[in-house]
Parts: sequence; C-alpha cells; structure tokens
Amino acid sequence: MTDEPPRTELLRTESLTRHFKIGGALSRRTLHAVDDVSFAIGEREIVALAGESGSGKSTIARVLARIYKPTSGEVFFEGKPLSSMTSRQERLRYSSLVPMVFQDPFSSINPVFRVQHGMLRCLKLHRPSLSATQRLEEAARVFEVVGLNPDMLQRFPYELSGGQRQRVGFAQALAMRPRLILADEPVSMLDVSIRIGLLNLMAKLRDEEGVSILYITHDIASARYVADRLIVMYAGQIAETGPIEDVLTHPRHPYTQLLLSAVPDPRAPLSVAAETDRGEPPRVIDPTPGCRFRWRCPLAIEKCTQVTPELAELRPTHSAACHVAQTSSEEVKAFT
Amino acid sequence: MLEVSGLSVDYILDRGNVRAVDDVSFTVSRGEFLGIVGESGCGKSTLLFAVAQLLAPPAEVAAGTVTFDGTNLVGLTDGQLSAMRWRDMSVVMQSAMNALNPVKTIGAQFKDAMRAHGKFTGQEITTRSAEVLKMVGIDPVHLGSYPHQLSGGMRQRSMIAMAMLFTPDLIIMDEPTSALDVVAQRSLMVQIKELQLAFGFAVIFVTHDMSLISHFSDRLMVMYAGQVDELGVTKTIFDRPLHPYTQGLLEAFPSIRGPRVPLKGIPGNPPDLSRVPSGCRFRPRCPYAIDKCAELAPDLYPLDGSLVRCLRREDGSLAS
Repeated sequence: MTDEPPRTELLRTESLTRHFKIGGALSRRTLHAVDDVSFAIGEREIVALAGESGSGKSTIARVLARIYKPTSGEVFFEGKPLSSMTSRQERLRYSSLVPMVFQDPFSSINPVFRVQHGMLRCLKLHRPSLSATQRLEEAARVFEVVGLNPDMLQRFPYELSGGQRQRVGFAQALAMRPRLILADEPVSMLDVSIRIGLLNLMAKLRDEEGVSILYITHDIASARYVADRLIVMYAGQIAETGPIEDVLTHPRHPYTQLLLSAVPDPRAPLSVAAETDRGEPPRVIDPTPGCRFRWRCPLAIEKCTQVTPELAELRPTHSAACHVAQTSSEEVKAFT
Repeated sequence: MLEVSGLSVDYILDRGNVRAVDDVSFTVSRGEFLGIVGESGCGKSTLLFAVAQLLAPPAEVAAGTVTFDGTNLVGLTDGQLSAMRWRDMSVVMQSAMNALNPVKTIGAQFKDAMRAHGKFTGQEITTRSAEVLKMVGIDPVHLGSYPHQLSGGMRQRSMIAMAMLFTPDLIIMDEPTSALDVVAQRSLMVQIKELQLAFGFAVIFVTHDMSLISHFSDRLMVMYAGQVDELGVTKTIFDRPLHPYTQGLLEAFPSIRGPRVPLKGIPGNPPDLSRVPSGCRFRPRCPYAIDKCAELAPDLYPLDGSLVRCLRREDGSLAS
C-alpha cells in the first residue's frame, strides 16, 4: 500500500496552531493544544493520527471539522483555504464532504429521537434533491453498508449497544457522500470482533469509494492494519511521521518507541525494559522552548532543554522532531 | 476463597425476563488473577455486579450462590454487605471519573471509606491514605486534590489505592484501563500486578481486550452471550484456543509485528440476549457449525485441563 505513486493532495494544514485560554480573569494562561502542525492528506489515503490523550489529536480533528477556529495557521481543502469559505453554501458543502465520526457514541446521538431522525435530517440538509422515500432508502442502504440491520432505524439510541451507536455515526457520515471522513477514535468503543469489520470497512471505503480517512487513534496496531501513513503526536506537536511500515519498523523518535513498546501483544514475550516509564504527557500550559518529551526521555541532551526540535526528514518521507535522531545517522533506541 | 456456583442473573423487564448471566460457575483462589473477557453485552459486567452483590433492579439473581470466605453473599442484607465491602472485597469501576465524587477531595473520599469500617483517628486515616497513594505511585499531596485536577491515569490509580485501604482479599476490576491510553494502560497493568504480588490479594479483571491481560492473568474465562465458553490457564488458551469463538477473538487482533495480514474478525453480531439462538449460542457466527449444533445446547466439557462449551470439541470431530 505504501508503494503507490504519490496521491493528489486533498487537504493540507500549514503551521496549524490552536490555543485555549484557561484560568480566571486574573491568572490568564494559555494551553497550547496544537502547536505548529503541518501535514497533508492525499486522495484515497488513510492517515492515522496517533498519540496519548491530551496530545492534541482530537483538537486537530475539531479544527478540520470547523468546530474550532485555528489560533493561527491555515487549512487548505482542495487547495482552497478554509477561512475563505464563508457563505452558508460553501460551509455546508465542506461539512458534507468532510464529515466527522465522533469518539463517544453515547453523546453523539440525540437520545429523545429514533435513530432515523438524525439520519434523515442530515440527508435532508445535505442532499436536498432526494425525496422523502429516497431518503429512507438511502438511510437503509448506508445502514447495510456499516453492518446494521435497517430495522434499527426505528430504534431509540438507548436500545443500541455502544458499538451499534458508533456504526450509526459512520452511517451518518457515509450518507453525505464524503471525500474525507474525520474519524475520531471510531473503534475504541467497539467490540474486538466487530472492530476488525469496521477497519475493513474503512479500507473498503478508501479502495472502492475513493474516500480518504483521517483515522485518529491511540491503538497503533489497528492503525497499522488500515493506514497508509502515520502521524505520531506528542503534547500538541508532531513527533514523527512517515509511511506507517517505515515508522513502525524503524521508529526514530523516543516517544514513538515508548508507544510501540506499550502495545500489548500476546504473541510477544513481556519486555521488562518497557516498564521504566511512569510518566504522563504534560499539559502544555505556557510552554518554554525545548523538547516537550525531554522529561520522559532517557536520551535527552542539553540542547533538548533549550531548543524546540523541528520536524526534519531523516529519510525521504520519514520525519522526526528529535535532536538526537537528527544528529545520529543510525537508530538510537530509548525504549524497546 | 471465592466460589461462584450456578449463578444466573435475570433482568426483569415488561416484555419478559432476559437472562444476562446463565449458569456461570468458577472459583478464585487466594492471590489468583482471573481474567474475564467477552464482548459488550455478554454479561461480564452483570456477572461482576452479581459477584459483588451490587445488582440494582431490574436485575436480580435468579439462581446460584456466591460463596466468599465461606459466606454465601446472595441474600445478605445491605448492612451485612457493606461491612464486607472495602474491607474484604473492593470493586474498581470502569470509569473513575464517574466513580469518584467530583466535589470532594481524594482524601475526603478515602476518609469516608475508612470511617465506614471502624473508628480511626484523623492521624491514622491520613497516614494510611498517604500510604496507599504512595503504593500506586501518586504523591500524597494529591489527597487534597479534587478528581478533576488529576489526569485519567491518576484518577484510575487513586481508585485502586482506595480499593487497597484495607488490603482486601479480593479486588474486582471492571475494565479499569479502558479509558486510558496505551502507555498509561500498560503502566497501570504492571502496577496492579506488582501490588498483587506484594500483598497477595486476588483479582478478578474484566476486559474486552484479550491481548491486554495475556501477560498478567493466571486463568482466563471467555464469556459469550451470558455463558462461559472457555475457562482455563491463560497461556494454554492463548497457545491453543479450543472454542471457535476464542479462536476468532484471538485472530481479530491486528499485530504491530510480523506481516500485515487481512483479518476477518468474527462475522455477525453478538446475539440479543432476549432472543438467543437455539442450541449453541455461537452457532450463527461459527465457521464450524454443523446441524447438531442447532439442536443441542452444549455443556461445558473438560478437555486438556480446560473447560470448553463446544459440541464438536466434545465428540472430537473438530481437531485442533
């Protein structure tokens, strides 16, 4: 999958930054949720965005979905900056081409209406040419695609399991005939046996429908299963990015190495070396320059406390933001 | 130490009773780590609640006993149960954010639990609270913190600290790591295991993620549609799963190592417990099902030191 010719670019971010003001009027502080993040998503591509909770993954998705405005930086969709899409028509078009599937299926469906209510409303809004019967047919069709019985349209959300609700979320996104689906931890609340089915569905959408997916996850194994490229986030910044097999077989950033060492794998023996880390990701409030991983990093050098590392290519298409990795020609292992 | 025997739990609903846990029996010895895995809706959480006697209407125990240290917990009054809770048996819930009281400090909640079980001086309470927090790797200054001031991992760890206030014999954990990211999850699992080795309490650990407990549990119980499908030593099950459902579960995990192979998962959905299929409950999703599976409901058969609920294993027609 990684050997295909370069894809046409669909969406690109340039120095995307999103800060939040926190604290009272007297102690104004700034939480740097996303800092200077640039990446691109091509057509027919699944890009996995991985990182711990609090690393800014969901904030990126929300900026792309126009729930948040970026503090600075810009997002380009099909070459056009998002900030220039101001008319209702343009905004509606964008939100139907780039729908979002949310993390928590328990709060993303209106509990007082039948499941079909939300489905039909979004079809009415985004595909006004359909008649009422066609809308029902379309709702039933996308329900079939995501593996739900169309009878479920008549159920209330509380009657569905968490997994079924999440598939309703996918069905709603699919109904809008999207170009790019922003999928925020779409399978983390699904059952294992069904998870694979949804990952396969995501791959099918890419291969057969030509939809791109930004797959936000903390589960590296599932990312490897479907994604073409991987972006690893840490504390609001990109730590490492590249074709997913390259990154997983030759992780260069110490954080990527830590993340990989923590993945439970029944086929591998338990590695004791991985247990030394008890750290937590920092909340990035009014950060000072320097690498944000340095407190947990066994390789940290003097430079890491003073200069924020920039993302730089170590090999073609494979980049990491780490001073140590950038200065050494071979792989340095911090965690195995 | 804990013996669950023929336990069934019904949800009493207007449209009829739904049996969420059906004739489940197992034992837990002192210091043992038992993992219970299954999909959502398979009755694993209901089973835990029944073991801890925390069921609330419309759920109730329909049959069976839960014998803990020689006492049958089924039918005990709330007063008798609350004397045991925290002291002999603690429960760590899935979501620490919901289980901790958001308007009280961690220390105040520890104090409540201790006050409920005896007369302690303020000094004793503070010392013990600080002790258990240190055990789980949290600085005791956080006794004065509110839950929202702690990260998800710290909240979950302080729940475990609270469960250890009286060093109980049994700690029941319902997916304590599911809200955590993978690094925090791993370090919490290692910590639970270390504490268990140090203090010798038994753990019942419920999860939907089999790979998570592969290195930590002694024995594993796989549940499907309210029943036990397979029960045996963890390593044996991982090396040679007997039930087709267990095999399917194991094959449903993508790996970060080795070749990228397409996986199928398990076709279909877990059954609605109000309309379970005839015969074997896994039959509609089972690649090995034969006609007999639709007619006969299989029992749990002993095989190679494990228990497995599969007709084709029982008669030997399904070789491994």
